[in-house]
Amino acid sequence: MVYFIFITFFCLVGGLAVVACNPSPYFGAAGLVLSSVAACTVVVEFGGSFVSLILFLIYLGGMLVVFAYSVALASDPFPEGIWDMSVGAYFTGYLVFLVGFLAVFGGDSFFYNFGVIGSEASGFNVVRGDFEGVSLLYGLGGAGLVICGWGLLLTLFVVLELTRGMSRGGLRVI
Amino acid sequence: MSPTIYMIILSTLATGTIITMTSYHWLMAWVGLELNTLAIIPIISTMHHPRSTEAATKYFLTQAAASALILFSSMTNAWNTGSWDITQPLTSPSHILLTMALAMKLGLAPLHFWLPEVIQGSTMTTAFIITTWQKIAPMSLIFLTMNNLSTSVFLLMGLLSSLVGGWGGLNQTQTRKIMAYSSIAHLGWMATISSIMTNILIMNLLIYLIMTTSVFLSLIISKSKTIQDTTSTWTLSPTLTIIMLLSLLSLGGLPPLTGFIPKWLIMEELILQNFNLLISMMAMSSLLSLYFYLRLTYTTALTLSPNTTQTKFKWRFYPNTSTMFIITPATISIFLLPMTPLILL
Repeated sequence: MVYFIFITFFCLVGGLAVVACNPSPYFGAAGLVLSSVAACTVVVEFGGSFVSLILFLIYLGGMLVVFAYSVALASDPFPEGIWDMSVGAYFTGYLVFLVGFLAVFGGDSFFYNFGVIGSEASGFNVVRGDFEGVSLLYGLGGAGLVICGWGLLLTLFVVLELTRGMSRGGLRVI
Repeated sequence: MSPTIYMIILSTLATGTIITMTSYHWLMAWVGLELNTLAIIPIISTMHHPRSTEAATKYFLTQAAASALILFSSMTNAWNTGSWDITQPLTSPSHILLTMALAMKLGLAPLHFWLPEVIQGSTMTTAFIITTWQKIAPMSLIFLTMNNLSTSVFLLMGLLSSLVGGWGGLNQTQTRKIMAYSSIAHLGWMATISSIMTNILIMNLLIYLIMTTSVFLSLIISKSKTIQDTTSTWTLSPTLTIIMLLSLLSLGGLPPLTGFIPKWLIMEELILQNFNLLISMMAMSSLLSLYFYLRLTYTTALTLSPNTTQTKFKWRFYPNTSTMFIITPATISIFLLPMTPLILL
């Protein structure tokens, strides 16, 4: 399990460094997908397998749209990759900075004390403790469910109002 | 915007703040803040020109970052302590994150840059909503968590805010930007007293809201977008010039007016706590604010700017904006000083 956690954190940090250093949307979006997969795996290791699954499905759905749009809008035949000097220097710099930051400020107290390897995870088995909270949404926490649903509906109204077409839309200047 | 959607969005704007104010759980406080942010975005970009779209984008980015910081700090705190209650003590990384997030939400000094930009890009009414109603939810979170936040950080941010608010407003010619910097300066006074005596904080917030309401309503009625526009207020309504003059001086904190109450009590309390250097610097910085209020009063009420013959008789026409709502806030923001012992909660 320790090696598995190491690999997921490696992918998380590496994916975020890829997002931060790449000017091309192809590699940027790909790095975002990689880091989101890794981050959801980290959440599984914290014991939140159900919330990780939900987050992964919704986030990946949104990311597909972002990826398709950014690739379609960019139309760059010669994207700058990680092997170009400018991008590679940033990538190495970010990684060195992050690892150095962890080495200096990490210690036992700041980053490692958040119970990554808790009693809930042993081997590849993870207790699904967070699923119990879902039933509360249909019982005691009904008001929370209503408010969350209202928030999502409001988001729909807001997005429709912002992207309204023709003479009233926010994008009519373009 | 269609009236139905406008109604939905405005009621959600109100509901979000009320959810945050009444919540005891960090998640519900965050949900309220998010509802609030989402609801005001279409209101800011109502006019749909590029400037208002830019303002809405800036507002969304800063508020979403601040909300994410609040969520992150409360989750870190819950992970460490197992408690989601707002009033429970916070751990060290999460209270630093929370301080940054609340300062960003309010527009306190090191994180204030979004406020004048957003306010300048939106309409007068929206700017009025942003400087008044949008301050209530983060301020209530500060009120609830103040025992666990760092005193010296809030004192420093308060001093810096009042200095920045004073210096920044000096060079502005747009009334909305002047009001934004005035809001930053007043929030600086509130941040300073928040770590020492929270009931003065609440009283200061209420008085600030009422005074800003009065000034903004008079600016809306006289349609004054720049200082130059305020010079022709007397042609529209001679009474309004007097109301604006007294409200602006009250906002500046001159003694016989309401705006003096919070400054007086804050000064007294800080001197009692031996913060002599701090409070003298804040008093000096409020002089800077007073300078640009005085400039507005000078153009509004103390000069008769030359104009064409027809405009002199504009006051004879019935006003086409509602002038009813300014009555109560103007009265309160001018005459409340004798009531000081009664309103200190």
